[in-house]
Amino acid sequence: MIDERELAINPIVQDSVMHNAKTLSNIRSLTASLFGVAAGTLGLESYPGFLFYFAGTLVVSLFVFALRAEARPKEFFYRPMMDLWAGDVVGGLSGFVLTWTLFYGLVRA
Amino acid sequence: MGLPSTVLLVAGAAFLSHAVYSSYEHALLFSPSISSGNKHPLPLDIVLELLVSITVLCAGIVLAAPKLKPISWRVWAREKETEEKNVNIRRRKEEDAGLGAQVGNPFAGLEDGSRRGFLDVRGARKAFAEWVREGGGGGRS
Repeated sequence: MIDERELAINPIVQDSVMHNAKTLSNIRSLTASLFGVAAGTLGLESYPGFLFYFAGTLVVSLFVFALRAEARPKEFFYRPMMDLWAGDVVGGLSGFVLTWTLFYGLVRA
Repeated sequence: MGLPSTVLLVAGAAFLSHAVYSSYEHALLFSPSISSGNKHPLPLDIVLELLVSITVLCAGIVLAAPKLKPISWRVWAREKETEEKNVNIRRRKEEDAGLGAQVGNPFAGLEDGSRRGFLDVRGARKAFAEWVREGGGGGRS
Protein backbone atom coordinates (compact mmCIF):
# COMPACT_ATOMS: atom_id res chain seq x y z
CA MET A 1 0.00 0.00 0.00
CA ILE A 2 1.31 3.42 -0.97
CA ASP A 3 -0.01 5.05 2.19
CA GLU A 4 1.72 2.61 4.51
CA ARG A 5 4.99 3.07 2.67
CA GLU A 6 4.66 6.84 2.87
CA LEU A 7 4.14 6.52 6.64
CA ALA A 8 7.22 4.32 6.95
CA ILE A 9 9.33 6.90 5.17
CA ASN A 10 7.81 9.95 6.88
CA PRO A 11 6.56 8.75 10.25
CA ILE A 12 4.10 10.90 12.17
CA VAL A 13 3.99 11.58 15.89
CA GLN A 14 0.77 10.28 17.44
CA ASP A 15 1.11 12.54 20.48
CA SER A 16 1.17 15.66 18.35
CA VAL A 17 -1.80 14.49 16.30
CA MET A 18 -3.81 13.99 19.48
CA HIS A 19 -2.68 17.30 20.93
CA ASN A 20 -3.72 19.16 17.78
CA ALA A 21 -7.08 17.41 17.60
CA LYS A 22 -7.76 18.23 21.26
CA THR A 23 -6.78 21.88 20.79
CA LEU A 24 -9.04 22.23 17.77
CA SER A 25 -11.93 20.52 19.53
CA ASN A 26 -11.58 22.90 22.50
CA ILE A 27 -11.63 25.91 20.18
CA ARG A 28 -14.65 24.52 18.36
CA SER A 29 -16.76 23.92 21.44
CA LEU A 30 -15.93 27.34 22.88
CA THR A 31 -16.73 29.21 19.69
CA ALA A 32 -19.85 27.13 18.96
CA SER A 33 -21.57 28.42 22.09
CA LEU A 34 -20.54 31.96 21.14
CA PHE A 35 -22.16 31.56 17.75
CA GLY A 36 -25.24 30.33 19.54
CA VAL A 37 -25.36 33.56 21.54
CA ALA A 38 -25.09 35.60 18.34
CA ALA A 39 -27.65 33.55 16.41
CA GLY A 40 -30.18 33.71 19.24
CA THR A 41 -29.71 37.46 19.70
CA LEU A 42 -30.07 38.07 15.98
CA GLY A 43 -33.30 36.09 16.11
CA LEU A 44 -32.35 33.61 13.43
CA GLU A 45 -34.69 30.69 12.90
CA SER A 46 -34.26 27.26 11.31
CA TYR A 47 -31.95 27.07 8.28
CA PRO A 48 -30.41 30.58 8.51
CA GLY A 49 -29.27 29.71 12.03
CA PHE A 50 -27.47 26.58 10.89
CA LEU A 51 -26.01 28.44 7.94
CA PHE A 52 -24.75 31.05 10.41
CA TYR A 53 -23.08 28.29 12.42
CA PHE A 54 -21.35 26.83 9.39
CA ALA A 55 -20.18 30.26 8.24
CA GLY A 56 -18.85 30.87 11.75
CA THR A 57 -16.92 27.60 11.84
CA LEU A 58 -15.38 28.53 8.51
CA VAL A 59 -14.19 31.81 10.02
CA VAL A 60 -12.75 29.95 13.03
CA SER A 61 -11.00 27.51 10.70
CA LEU A 62 -9.50 30.48 8.89
CA PHE A 63 -8.27 31.90 12.20
CA VAL A 64 -6.71 28.58 13.15
CA PHE A 65 -5.20 28.29 9.70
CA ALA A 66 -3.66 31.77 9.88
CA LEU A 67 -2.77 32.12 13.56
CA ARG A 68 -2.03 28.61 14.80
CA ALA A 69 -1.12 26.55 11.73
CA GLU A 70 1.05 29.33 10.24
CA ALA A 71 -0.65 28.80 6.86
CA ARG A 72 0.96 25.35 6.58
CA PRO A 73 -1.82 22.98 7.69
CA LYS A 74 -0.04 20.02 6.14
CA GLU A 75 2.53 20.26 8.90
CA PHE A 76 0.03 20.07 11.74
CA PHE A 77 -2.83 17.95 10.43
CA TYR A 78 -2.59 14.58 8.73
CA ARG A 79 -5.52 15.30 6.43
CA PRO A 80 -6.00 19.11 6.46
CA MET A 81 -9.36 18.92 4.68
CA MET A 82 -10.88 16.53 7.20
CA ASP A 83 -9.03 17.48 10.37
CA LEU A 84 -8.79 21.26 10.11
CA TRP A 85 -11.60 22.53 7.87
CA ALA A 86 -14.21 19.92 8.76
CA GLY A 87 -12.78 18.74 12.09
CA ASP A 88 -15.28 18.52 14.93
CA VAL A 89 -17.86 20.73 13.22
CA VAL A 90 -20.72 18.41 14.15
CA GLY A 91 -19.43 18.05 17.70
CA GLY A 92 -19.98 21.74 18.41
CA LEU A 93 -23.48 21.71 16.96
CA SER A 94 -25.17 20.62 20.19
CA GLY A 95 -23.57 23.42 22.17
CA PHE A 96 -24.57 25.84 19.45
CA VAL A 97 -28.24 24.80 19.55
CA LEU A 98 -28.21 24.98 23.34
CA THR A 99 -27.12 28.63 23.56
CA TRP A 100 -29.03 29.53 20.40
CA THR A 101 -32.37 28.51 21.93
CA LEU A 102 -31.42 29.95 25.32
CA PHE A 103 -30.63 33.42 23.98
CA TYR A 104 -33.52 33.39 21.55
CA GLY A 105 -35.80 32.77 24.52
CA LEU A 106 -34.05 35.33 26.75
CA VAL A 107 -33.93 38.19 24.28
CA ARG A 108 -37.20 37.85 22.41
CA ALA A 109 -39.48 35.85 24.61
CA MET B 1 -2.32 32.98 27.33
CA GLY B 2 -0.55 36.14 26.33
CA LEU B 3 -1.48 39.78 26.54
CA PRO B 4 -3.00 40.11 23.02
CA SER B 5 -5.45 37.27 23.55
CA THR B 6 -6.49 38.62 26.95
CA VAL B 7 -7.11 42.08 25.49
CA LEU B 8 -9.13 40.59 22.61
CA LEU B 9 -11.18 38.41 24.96
CA VAL B 10 -12.00 41.23 27.37
CA ALA B 11 -12.88 43.70 24.59
CA GLY B 12 -14.94 41.07 22.75
CA ALA B 13 -16.85 40.10 25.90
CA ALA B 14 -17.62 43.75 26.69
CA PHE B 15 -18.90 44.45 23.17
CA LEU B 16 -20.86 41.21 23.09
CA SER B 17 -22.65 41.87 26.37
CA HIS B 18 -23.41 45.42 25.25
CA ALA B 19 -24.82 44.21 21.95
CA VAL B 20 -26.94 41.50 23.57
CA TYR B 21 -28.30 43.93 26.15
CA SER B 22 -29.07 46.47 23.41
CA SER B 23 -31.01 43.92 21.44
CA TYR B 24 -32.86 42.92 24.62
CA GLU B 25 -33.87 46.56 25.16
CA HIS B 26 -34.90 46.80 21.54
CA ALA B 27 -37.05 43.71 21.89
CA LEU B 28 -38.66 45.16 25.03
CA LEU B 29 -39.44 48.46 23.28
CA PHE B 30 -41.06 46.96 20.23
CA SER B 31 -42.07 43.59 21.72
CA PRO B 32 -42.01 41.58 18.47
CA SER B 33 -44.13 38.80 19.97
CA ILE B 34 -47.20 41.04 20.25
CA SER B 35 -46.98 43.48 17.34
CA SER B 36 -46.55 40.56 15.00
CA GLY B 37 -43.74 40.06 12.60
CA ASN B 38 -40.61 41.83 11.48
CA LYS B 39 -41.87 45.40 11.48
CA HIS B 40 -38.92 46.48 13.59
CA PRO B 41 -35.85 44.47 12.66
CA LEU B 42 -32.74 44.75 14.79
CA PRO B 43 -30.92 48.05 14.02
CA LEU B 44 -27.85 47.72 11.85
CA ASP B 45 -25.44 49.04 14.49
CA ILE B 46 -26.41 46.33 16.97
CA VAL B 47 -26.03 43.64 14.32
CA LEU B 48 -22.63 44.97 13.33
CA GLU B 49 -21.49 45.25 16.95
CA LEU B 50 -22.60 41.68 17.57
CA LEU B 51 -20.78 40.29 14.54
CA VAL B 52 -17.61 42.26 15.24
CA SER B 53 -17.55 41.20 18.89
CA ILE B 54 -18.04 37.55 17.91
CA THR B 55 -15.16 37.77 15.44
CA VAL B 56 -12.91 39.45 18.01
CA LEU B 57 -13.79 36.81 20.61
CA CYS B 58 -13.03 34.02 18.14
CA ALA B 59 -9.63 35.51 17.40
CA GLY B 60 -8.98 35.79 21.14
CA ILE B 61 -9.97 32.16 21.77
CA VAL B 62 -7.78 30.93 18.91
CA LEU B 63 -4.85 32.99 20.18
CA ALA B 64 -5.36 31.76 23.74
CA ALA B 65 -5.24 28.10 22.63
CA PRO B 66 -1.93 26.27 23.04
CA LYS B 67 0.33 26.09 20.02
CA LEU B 68 -0.10 23.20 17.62
CA LYS B 69 2.68 20.64 17.41
CA PRO B 70 4.16 19.43 14.12
CA ILE B 71 3.07 15.88 13.34
CA SER B 72 5.94 14.96 11.05
CA TRP B 73 8.49 13.03 13.06
CA ARG B 74 11.55 14.76 11.68
CA VAL B 75 10.23 18.28 12.22
CA TRP B 76 9.08 17.37 15.70
CA ALA B 77 12.38 15.69 16.61
CA ARG B 78 14.40 18.66 15.39
CA GLU B 79 12.25 20.95 17.51
CA LYS B 80 12.83 18.72 20.54
CA GLU B 81 16.59 18.73 19.96
CA THR B 82 16.77 22.49 19.76
CA GLU B 83 14.64 23.04 22.80
CA GLU B 84 16.84 20.65 24.74
CA LYS B 85 19.26 23.53 25.25
CA ASN B 86 16.89 25.72 27.18
CA VAL B 87 14.82 22.89 28.51
CA ASN B 88 14.80 24.12 32.07
CA ILE B 89 13.37 27.53 31.25
CA ARG B 90 10.88 25.92 28.95
CA ARG B 91 9.80 23.28 31.43
CA ARG B 92 9.06 25.93 34.01
CA LYS B 93 7.10 27.94 31.44
CA GLU B 94 5.04 24.96 30.31
CA GLU B 95 4.31 23.95 33.86
CA ASP B 96 3.02 27.46 34.46
CA ALA B 97 0.85 27.17 31.38
CA GLY B 98 -0.48 23.83 32.60
CA LEU B 99 0.64 21.97 29.51
CA GLY B 100 1.83 18.42 29.25
CA ALA B 101 4.68 17.24 31.43
CA GLN B 102 6.65 15.77 28.55
CA VAL B 103 9.27 18.26 27.46
CA GLY B 104 12.53 17.70 25.67
CA ASN B 105 13.83 14.64 23.89
CA PRO B 106 11.93 11.59 25.12
CA PHE B 107 14.91 9.40 24.21
CA ALA B 108 17.42 11.45 26.18
CA GLY B 109 17.71 8.59 28.66
CA LEU B 110 19.12 6.35 25.94
CA GLU B 111 21.67 8.76 24.59
CA ASP B 112 25.41 8.80 25.10
CA GLY B 113 26.73 9.23 28.59
CA SER B 114 23.41 9.43 30.35
CA ARG B 115 22.41 5.75 30.32
CA ARG B 116 21.80 5.05 33.91
CA GLY B 117 22.76 1.57 35.05
CA PHE B 118 25.33 1.10 32.30
CA LEU B 119 29.05 1.59 32.41
CA ASP B 120 30.10 4.70 30.47
CA VAL B 121 32.45 2.77 28.18
CA ARG B 122 33.39 5.68 25.97
CA GLY B 123 34.10 7.90 28.95
CA ALA B 124 36.25 5.18 30.52
CA ARG B 125 38.15 4.62 27.29
CA LYS B 126 38.77 8.34 26.91
CA ALA B 127 40.08 8.57 30.46
CA PHE B 128 42.32 5.58 29.86
CA ALA B 129 43.71 7.10 26.65
CA GLU B 130 44.38 10.30 28.52
CA TRP B 131 46.17 8.37 31.22
CA VAL B 132 48.28 6.50 28.66
CA ARG B 133 49.19 9.70 26.86
CA GLU B 134 50.33 11.28 30.05
CA GLY B 135 52.70 8.41 30.49
CA GLY B 136 50.71 6.98 33.32
CA GLY B 137 51.97 3.50 32.51
CA GLY B 138 55.39 4.57 33.82
CA GLY B 139 56.06 1.19 35.42
CA ARG B 140 57.36 -0.20 32.13
CA SER B 141 60.58 1.10 30.70
